[in-house]
Amino acid sequence: MNKLKTVIKNNKRELILKSPLIGASGTYGYTDEFEDFIDLNCLGAISTKGITLEARSGNEGDRIFETECGLINRIGLENVGIKKFISDKLPILKQKNIDFLLNIAGSSIEDYERLADIAQQNSIKAIEVNVSCPNVKSGCIEFGLNPDSLFNLTSKIRKNYKGFLIVKLSPNTSDITSLANAVESAGADCISAINTLRGLGVDIKRIGNKFIKKTVQGGLSGKCVKPVALYMVNAIKKSVNIPVIAMGGISSLGDLLEFLAVGADAFQIGTANFINPKICTTLAMELKKYIEENNFQDFEDLKTKIKGA
Amino acid sequence: MKEYTGKIYNIEKLTHDTTKVVIESALDSAHSGQFISVLCENRTLRRPFSISDFEKIENNKSLLTILVKIKGKGTEFLSNLKINDEISILAPLGNGFSIKEEASLLVGAGIGIAPMLFLKKELNKQNINNYLIAGFRDDKEIIKGYDEVTIGGSVVDRLEDLIKEKNIKIVYACGPEIVLKLIGKLCKKLNIKSQLAMEKVMACGIGVCRGCVIKIKKNETISTASICKDGPVFSGNEIIWEENE
Repeated sequence: MNKLKTVIKNNKRELILKSPLIGASGTYGYTDEFEDFIDLNCLGAISTKGITLEARSGNEGDRIFETECGLINRIGLENVGIKKFISDKLPILKQKNIDFLLNIAGSSIEDYERLADIAQQNSIKAIEVNVSCPNVKSGCIEFGLNPDSLFNLTSKIRKNYKGFLIVKLSPNTSDITSLANAVESAGADCISAINTLRGLGVDIKRIGNKFIKKTVQGGLSGKCVKPVALYMVNAIKKSVNIPVIAMGGISSLGDLLEFLAVGADAFQIGTANFINPKICTTLAMELKKYIEENNFQDFEDLKTKIKGA
Repeated sequence: MKEYTGKIYNIEKLTHDTTKVVIESALDSAHSGQFISVLCENRTLRRPFSISDFEKIENNKSLLTILVKIKGKGTEFLSNLKINDEISILAPLGNGFSIKEEASLLVGAGIGIAPMLFLKKELNKQNINNYLIAGFRDDKEIIKGYDEVTIGGSVVDRLEDLIKEKNIKIVYACGPEIVLKLIGKLCKKLNIKSQLAMEKVMACGIGVCRGCVIKIKKNETISTASICKDGPVFSGNEIIWEENE
């Protein structure tokens, strides 16, 4: 019996995974890129690199900035585009039996509708919607920061896609619960949180008699965001009934338990994959050991009991 | 590419800020131009280092050498390791130099000499005629192993003459981007091949995060390539250099 079997469900749909540990979008590639390090069949799933309608070449200039206990990135959604994903990557995922969430991103509602439609046509089991993208048509304000536009976007995706719909929320808001309520009432099956926090890395040096400044503005991730993520997951769980896949600075068994205690149903691991490419399976083994040593039936049993704490 | 536990076999100060670190591990093979990434205490990101030497000592055991120049806390941590300390390395990463059997000029600017020392060893083994020129900012920075050295000034200034004198057909180089850009352009002008080992801040080191990309042009098509997986060695003719540098 698989003690890590994970059931992520609401009253309409469910997603069953082999383990609650999911490789977060942007840190796990498209398919089998981590195969040299771990047995991908032991992974709950990978969330694919964010896929857009057309291929994108990403941002110019520096894309990575290391901070004291985290990382700022501004990759700019470089990806192969949905067409190539379906033709080149999907067959590998299927052939190797790798469970995945298709992470999608767009710059207009039509982009998302079209991507949802393609996912539906290709019988993709689960999609995760990145709503931290600027809506080009309405002045480049992120879709995910306004409850009305987020409701509208999620409803349109829901209409075209009948599989398990996860919306990944941005933490760059003063009111996470309104956003969570909006996606729930628009018919999303699950929320994943949090995406990266806006951050700025500054490198200032004095060379000769001149200051040389370099800045990298992008999304902050890693250990330093964990308290923010815990706060957000806790607040979301208090306001919605759909499940939450938690992420934000997770790198240890203790972190998993903390997120479970505030209501998480599964986890995504992001930045920590760069430190330890085996982290997802290492944590799965530690979690299994914890379940056995503390006489829980399985992960679902642990989840239920820890939530009552 | 795998994760290995490396044991510090030897550690030796080469200059005031550069240390030669010899790591014993089960790494099976490595080629010049490839690199490793090392986990450093209390740092989010692993640090990439060109492999400066590699030698199998017995079955399942090898020694690999990196040169660590102190730039910040990660490199400081590595410089202070002691013999028998253990570190986590990912290796071997990237594609190395593609060796051609032609008169070769090797250029190492600053700490960029690290992969050149390994390349020179590989070329010597194959009896390929080669000449290594190194450039350093001042006397304090000198790392030995070159055939010729430029102290202060630019190593690039000497190259055109050297290429002609020695009838060079290919240039291999590693160093700061601005130096590589000049070398790439010079080789293009002289119509000889160049292979340049590039560097950028890296996050994953294995090609998934797209954090360390450059633009390249192959068969008239422009695309992005990751330094860590598609490189770090690129043909000088392929690289599209960022302007304003």
